[in-house]
Amino acid sequence: MVAALASLPAHRIFAQAGKIHRVGLAHIGAPGTSVLSPSMVSGFTKRGYVEGQNIEFERRAAEGKSDRLPGLIEDLVAKHVDVIITSSYPAALAAKEHASNTPVVVVFSGDPVATGLAASLAHPGGNITGVSEIAAELSAKRLAVLKEAVPRVKAVAVLWNADDFGMTLRYQAAEVEAKRTGMLIVPLGVHAPDDFDTAFAEMTKKPPDAILMVTDVLTTLNRKRVIDFAAEHQLPTIYEYANLVHDGGLLSYGPDQNAILDRAAGLADRILKGTKPADLPLELPSRFQLAVNLKTAKALGLSIPDSILVRADDVIE
Amino acid sequence: MTDRGGMPAGRPRRPLFQKYFAALFVAVVVPLLANGASEAWFGYGDQRIMLGQRLHAEADSAAGKIQAFLDDIADQLRWTVQLPWRDGSDEQHRFDVLRLMRQLPAVVEVMLIDGDGHERLHIARADPDVVNSGIDRSSEPAVGGARSRSIWYGPVTLYRGSEPHMSVAVAGPRSTNGVTVAVINLKLIWDVISAIHVGRSGDAFVLDASGRLVAHPDISLVLRGDDDPAAARLKDLQQMTMASGGETIVGRDAEDRSVIAAAAPIAGPEWLAFVEQPSSEAFAPLQAAIWRTALLLLVGLLFAAGLGYLLARRMTGPIKLLGTGAEQIGAGHFDHRIDIATGDELEGLAKQFNMMAVDLALSQERSERIARLKRFLAPQVAELVEGSDQEVLLDSHRAEVVAIFCDLRGFTSFSHAARPEEMMGLVQEYYEALGAIITRYEATLTCFMGDGLMLLLNAPVPCPEPALRAAQMAIEMQASIQVVISGWRERGHAIGFGMGLAKGTAIVGRIGYEGRSDYTAIGNVVNLASRICGAAEDGQILVDEVIAAEIGDALVLVPLGALMLRGFAEAVPIFSIGQASAGAVPLAAAG
Repeated sequence: MVAALASLPAHRIFAQAGKIHRVGLAHIGAPGTSVLSPSMVSGFTKRGYVEGQNIEFERRAAEGKSDRLPGLIEDLVAKHVDVIITSSYPAALAAKEHASNTPVVVVFSGDPVATGLAASLAHPGGNITGVSEIAAELSAKRLAVLKEAVPRVKAVAVLWNADDFGMTLRYQAAEVEAKRTGMLIVPLGVHAPDDFDTAFAEMTKKPPDAILMVTDVLTTLNRKRVIDFAAEHQLPTIYEYANLVHDGGLLSYGPDQNAILDRAAGLADRILKGTKPADLPLELPSRFQLAVNLKTAKALGLSIPDSILVRADDVIE
Repeated sequence: MTDRGGMPAGRPRRPLFQKYFAALFVAVVVPLLANGASEAWFGYGDQRIMLGQRLHAEADSAAGKIQAFLDDIADQLRWTVQLPWRDGSDEQHRFDVLRLMRQLPAVVEVMLIDGDGHERLHIARADPDVVNSGIDRSSEPAVGGARSRSIWYGPVTLYRGSEPHMSVAVAGPRSTNGVTVAVINLKLIWDVISAIHVGRSGDAFVLDASGRLVAHPDISLVLRGDDDPAAARLKDLQQMTMASGGETIVGRDAEDRSVIAAAAPIAGPEWLAFVEQPSSEAFAPLQAAIWRTALLLLVGLLFAAGLGYLLARRMTGPIKLLGTGAEQIGAGHFDHRIDIATGDELEGLAKQFNMMAVDLALSQERSERIARLKRFLAPQVAELVEGSDQEVLLDSHRAEVVAIFCDLRGFTSFSHAARPEEMMGLVQEYYEALGAIITRYEATLTCFMGDGLMLLLNAPVPCPEPALRAAQMAIEMQASIQVVISGWRERGHAIGFGMGLAKGTAIVGRIGYEGRSDYTAIGNVVNLASRICGAAEDGQILVDEVIAAEIGDALVLVPLGALMLRGFAEAVPIFSIGQASAGAVPLAAAG
């Protein structure tokens, strides 16, 4: 799909040359991650935009403090940006409530229909569109992948940002699946960075067989501590995105993050060219990635079965 | 210019130039217009056919690409039904499916069903695998369809009301191999459909049998689900295509552009692949051709106008020259020549005009000469002399002539007493009476001398019996004048009239200078006649002996004896015509 987009005729890309478009990027996390990362910009570059020439980005990072988000959104609206792209459910919620008439493209905010941000995939309503995640269902799939990779796993500790509704839905999906398959979930909801110490203490006191970390800004910000803790305690881990496996996690299964950012840029591009957000359905991710870190597996003394390797898109050796 | 036939020659009501111009213009323009129109018409037809063929080829190509996308999936699915279900083959089947899903991102779900119709494996991208659920699926249409037709395509459904999904089922070569059912996320056809471009801004899309949008370069349009107005327009295109029996159609596309579209079927799922091109773009070559024709026509019109103008000028130019020539000749300029060298009938006509001018000049010259001759010749004699090339008669030569002299008596005293107008009236009356007779006898009038005149007979044109003829003329003249002068005498004027005739040889011919020449005779006979006239009394006609001899018995002659006449050495015998005058005076007295 990426290659096909690149082959779009040039006249479409430069249809609005001469005008400088302003795109607001709002993220609850740290600068340089998610929609604030270079991957986001490359999605625009591919569609003929050149930063400083015909597009300007207004980047706003809440550094994990969700109460700052409404102010950041209002600031972007005051700067008359043409579209706001948000990452995370709190940022999407703040945009829905404070962006007034400015179109909003949401990503990494769970399932906007399930969280009530949008009415339906086909007709989101209001000024919101974006890329939905079928992330809640995927929690069950992740547990199954983890169980297949490490069959002895029975008790799984789930780390998630309990303040994020989208993330809580994912935890709940994991709980349902565990019950169905006779596994045991150790819920470790966190609210703040300090809560991780509590979670680690919990796991030290009563070690689980593995860790499933629901990825959001809070958990991503503390990923290093989780990866280190897992390595230290010889715990297999499964995450949502491949980048955490590259950082030392054992497994990940989830939609292709770069593909999601690319689609977000695609939707923003349509909005910049005049399409109303109401005419742009929420899109579902269509590419999923299974990543395995064989180095980590070796360190844990694990042998990853062929049934995992045969479907792995990303194997780190 | 003169008015001829009531039409002003300068400004004809319907000038030739206009007629020729109109005719020539029409002659060039009508074939040009006919040719241009037919060319545009047939050109349009040809272009329209070519456009249709091109679009159909594009549609076939697009359908082929979509077909290839589906066939690729079907081929891979068939690998999963190559082996029968046996104990211990579960793992093998599972690996086949895992590999397949890794290969085909569009496959979101695969279900393996064994030969008995029980579900053995269910693998989905978003859900945990389900192994050996044993659910009886033998009655499901996918299983039945695949078993009867080896491959079965389900209806297009909208996952969560947005993403188009479709089930595909394949059966193995043996019934024990079971059936594989896969769910395809049709959103991924986008890779194929968005790579199809028709012309500059045309594209392709796919509709299923019910008109539901399956694939479109605008993925958002596909995801908008049913009841979308843009998708409804595409459904209209499908119905128009069905109604037209597969011809190209013109309608409105999802972006509400006017487009020309063609469709090709995709076997299996019974979809239709459409290609569309904006009408403005597709018909651009056609419009360009029409513009070209129009431009050519315009150039042709200008050419026709120019050609018509030039030809009409070439034709009417000589006619105008003829007109002015005729005008000039009519005005008497006989030396005017019309110069036309067109080599055609007009040139011949101009030559005839020129010849006519020459003839007219000759004719005028002749009539002028006749007028001059008439000064001294009777009109009929003048015509004869002029017309018969006998002008040599006027050259000086010796001839036998009769000279006749006559004059009034008592005129000198009358002219002193009378008023000028009275005198001129008398003279006029006198000459009119004489003129008619002179003309009738074709006598030559040589000169007037106040109340007298001199006439000749037998010169320049000879006549039979000149003496007798002269005598008879003299008798008539005398009689006529006597009637005239009797009136005058009643008014108290003592006027008489006498005549003298002589015949002899004289030198006759024209004398005078250019434009003023007279005919006269010089010789003794002239003097003799003059003297005899001088001797004549009023009412007398005296002749010499030559005339008397020639008259003979034709008239009554009275010999008056020989008279001594001035200038004559010997006495001359004189005779009087008619009865002998009682009042004849002695000749000496007359002298």
